[in-house]
Order: sequence, then C-alpha cells, then structure tokens
Amino acid sequence: MSTKKSPLNRLRRSLGLDTQNEWPSVARERLLAYGLLAVYVLIIWFPIYYIFVTSIKPSSEVLSLPITFLPQSPTTQNYVDIFTNRPFDNYTINSMIVATTTTLICITLGTVTGYSFSRFDFMGNKSLLLSIVGARMIPPIALIVPFFQIMSNPPLIGGFTGSLYDTRLALILTYTFFNLPFAVWIMKNYFDGIPESLDEQARIDGCSRWEAFVKIILPMAKPGIAATAILAFIFSWNEFVFALVLTSSEQAQTLPIAVSLFVADDFVDWAHLAAGGMIAALPGILFGLFFQQYIVSGLTQGAVKE
Amino acid sequence: MSIEKSPLRRKLDKLFVPLTVGPTLLWIAAIIVYPTAKLLVSSFQFRNPVTNEMEFVGLRNFQRLIFAREGGNAALGIFNPSFVSITTNTVIYVGFSVSISFLLGLGIALLLDKDLKGRGWFRTAVIVPWILPYVMSGLMWRWMFQSDFGAINGALQRLGIISGNIPFLSDGALAMMALIIADVWVFTPFIIIILLAGLQNVPEQLYDAAEVDGASRWSRFWNVTYPFLKPSILVALTIRIIFDIRALDLVWVMTQGGPGKSTEVWASWLYRTAQVFNEPGSGAALGVVLLAVTFAIVASLYKIFGESPYQA
Repeated sequence: MSTKKSPLNRLRRSLGLDTQNEWPSVARERLLAYGLLAVYVLIIWFPIYYIFVTSIKPSSEVLSLPITFLPQSPTTQNYVDIFTNRPFDNYTINSMIVATTTTLICITLGTVTGYSFSRFDFMGNKSLLLSIVGARMIPPIALIVPFFQIMSNPPLIGGFTGSLYDTRLALILTYTFFNLPFAVWIMKNYFDGIPESLDEQARIDGCSRWEAFVKIILPMAKPGIAATAILAFIFSWNEFVFALVLTSSEQAQTLPIAVSLFVADDFVDWAHLAAGGMIAALPGILFGLFFQQYIVSGLTQGAVKE
Repeated sequence: MSIEKSPLRRKLDKLFVPLTVGPTLLWIAAIIVYPTAKLLVSSFQFRNPVTNEMEFVGLRNFQRLIFAREGGNAALGIFNPSFVSITTNTVIYVGFSVSISFLLGLGIALLLDKDLKGRGWFRTAVIVPWILPYVMSGLMWRWMFQSDFGAINGALQRLGIISGNIPFLSDGALAMMALIIADVWVFTPFIIIILLAGLQNVPEQLYDAAEVDGASRWSRFWNVTYPFLKPSILVALTIRIIFDIRALDLVWVMTQGGPGKSTEVWASWLYRTAQVFNEPGSGAALGVVLLAVTFAIVASLYKIFGESPYQA
C-alpha cells in the first residue's frame, strides 16, 4: 500500500500488470524469459566483444598479464597497420568483387528461372527442380579435387583464358555453385506466393509474357530478391575452403584467407588478426543489424517449403 | 492492343521457358554436374608420383582408405585404424555439436516465440554469430581458448575457479570440446531461425484449448507444438548434420586436426589428403564416401521422421 512507487511495482506496471493484483504466473514467466535471453545474449556476444577489444589494444597489451577486459590505451594502430603493412586493401577489393559478382549472377539467373519453375508446367520441370535442389546436398568439400583440376586447366574456355588458378573469376564461378541452386529455390517459393491471376490480368491487358514478368511480377518480388541477394552475398563473402584451394596471392585472395594468414606455425599475431577479423566480420554484423528480417525470411523460404 | 501484335513478340513468348531456364541449367551442368562426374572419375585414379599422370586403379583408393593394408595394423579386424579413429572423431564432433545446438536452439526459439517487447532486438542479437565468417569465428575462439592470454583462462582465474592455465587446445579431449563449443556458437542461430519459423505455424487456439483442458506444459509441447514443429525440426537437423560433416573452416583454423590426430575429422582429412599430401585420387575417393554418407543420412532422417523428401 505504501509501496506505490517501489521498483517492484514499476516493474509490474511495465509488464502490463495491475499493481493491486497478485504477481501472476504470466509475468513471472515473462521475467524469466527476459532473464534467460539476456544471459544468453551476453554470453554469445562476449567473444565478439573480446576480439573487438583485442583489435584496439596495442600488441604489447595483448600479450601481457594479467589480461585486460577493458583496453588500457585504445588505439587504431592495428587497423592502420594491416592496410599499410599488408595488402588488406587488395583483400577487401577482392572480397567485394567476388561477392558482388556472384550475387548478381545468382539473383539474375535465380529470379528468371525461379519464376518459370513457379509458373510453367514444362517437360520434366518437377524432376529438374528436384535435381537443382538436390545439388545443395553435394558437399562442396568433396569437390575440391575436381574444382582444383578444372580451374587449373579449364575445359572449353581454357584456350582463351589459360589457367584460372589464383583468379577472382575462379572464385566467382565456384561460388555460384553453392548459391545458384539456393537462389532458384528461394525465388521459386517466393513467386509461388504471388497470385498467378496477376500475370493473367497483365496478359489480358495486352502485356507479353516478358512484360508481365518484368513490369508486374518482378516489382512485387523485391523482398524475395533482397533476401536472396543478402544471403548469397554473405555466403560468398564468408567462404574459406575454396578460396584456400584456388588462390595463392593477393591478386585473388579474399578476407577470410587474409585473416587466416596471421597464423604462423608457432606464432599468431593476435592484435592484427583481431583487426583483420573485425574487417571481415563487418558486413555480416551490419547485415545482421539492419536486414535481419530478410536473412530470416530468405533462410526460411530456402529451407522450409511454405 | 491484341496480344498477337507482332510475330516476333509471339516467338519471344514461346521461348520464355527455354530462355529463362536454359542458361541456369547449362550453368549448373557446368559447375555441378561436370565436377561431380570428374570426382567420380578421379576416385578411380591414382597420381603416379614419377610421371605425374593419373592412372586408372579401380577401387584401390577406396580399399586403401577404408580397409587395412595387408600386414598393417587393423582395427576392428579389417578396417584401417585411421579411418576408424577419424570416423569416431567425426561422429563425436557432429553428434555433440548438433544435439547441443539443437536443444539450445529449441529453448531460445521457444523463448523468442513469446510475445515479448524488444523481441526483434533479441532476435537480431542471437543470429549474428551465424552471419560472421566461420574463419573469423574459429580464430576468435582459438583466441578465447588460448592458454596464456585467452579470455577463458583469464576469466576462470579471475573468478577463482582455477589457479593455473588450462591448455585447452593442446589436449586432445579439451580441443575437441573447444571445437564443439565454437560450432555450437556458430550454428545455434540457424536452428533458432528455422524453428522460430516453424513455431509460427502452431495455431494459437490450440494452446488456449490445451490450457483450458489443464494440460501440463510438457504435454502441451508434445501434443500441440511438436506435431506442427516436426517438419522444421527435420529440416533443421538434416541441414545441420550434413553441413557439419562437410565443415572444414572451424577445424582447420582452430586445431588443424591436432593435437596429434585427436580432432581430425573427415573434412580435414579430405583436405589434407587432397591438397597437403597431393593425393587427388584418395581425396576424391573420400569425397565420394562423404557424398554417399550425406545422401544416406538425409534418406534415413526422412525415414525416421516418416516423410518423403521434397513432397510436391
């Protein structure tokens, strides 16, 4: 009664409860859920925090005891170093070119093909779609031997290009392998959700198939395309194994490789590694913070049908 | 205004499907079918160390990988001991990682499914680990587990739980544990996303009805939530398992399969055989085994859950 303004009552009110009432189980449950989620988030973000802190410590502080969880003399030196002493500008450009080009190829082909699979009943479309989806089950790592052989000595185009080993093109071609089937699948499912009567209406209004697709359906598919693009970009940006097998110099190596290069046999340059790691992680963190709903919807469309 | 305005237009319309599907099929044939065919061929070949030519050797690569060499030390009678130990490591790694992250992910998904304020923020916060480059995450955990300056030893000492440094990554069992923790950290968000989507399919009225009937929380989960969640669980587990078997990134940057061979799994073995030891034939044979195992796992998971893959 005298506790009208007590913190407990304020909490009750913020949980949407009448302060006069008993402490109902719903509120207790909610409070527990908040508590558990908060603990979980703190635990999983701690390593990210620690690697970030490491990246802004001078090397001497990184390797001194006792270890510090707050930087004593924060500095951006590590970031400056990796762009001056190491070709991190090249690595970043390589990563951007490879991820962007792969994404463009995948959303272009994925969109038009996904649309046809959604709308048309053509010869063998069911089994074709099945095999495209089934291709996702092939473990990419099983294919490092053939991909290495093919890129070192490309058939058909080899006469024009020579070996593609250690080129960005090799990575782009390879990355479409993971992403294109995925893109077709997400877009097919997305188009399935757009009523076919819209196509028909457009056709009655005098549009050709192409016009109906480009003018009417494509604009409606923007969220699906965005989700596909973001996922394809992230997957390509983060890829490591094929970049390890198919590249050997800064003319094609991407950021994940660059970060791993800080590990020497018996010595790891942790301060600079942390800075490089933060650069490599930046798009992921930004996409996660600002486009979370696209990532979730893309992944859900791609993994679970309906 | 008529649709049949020009013959060119009609022709283009007729070609709609071939023009939109054709390029993708050709691309996929070039980038997936052809390499897979080449994988099969390479698995029957052996690189002659003298001439550097690939020679046809039949099933010898598979034999060498899986079965004991004549006169060699044989585990379980006939199997190659390294095949047995690496397979055991793979099963431990995948088994623990997938089950822990599944239970954790299910718990978090159930919490996030509640009508909480700020749910969007929590959702964003929990999915970020999955979006980061695996290499960066692996190295980050290697740094966390580093024995002298790592945060885990540091924190445990500050809390007074341990007095000396624990050499996490130079002890076989601890290194495997570290690897599993990193894997759970990276992939639990994936489970959360898929299960959260599945939870949206559970009709709200059923919960209310169960509540009225006085069903316990446990029976509400099994009788209401689980049946609707089953398809999502199936997808989450399938993808999680097959992606864990093939995952090289974390293992390679955290332990390189070491110390000794205590964290060597199929993926790192394959990479080592094919690239480091430059035995493309054996590497390809391992790739074929991996491919077969992947399909077997997918098929049996769908059998267990009683659903055919990709129902139309």
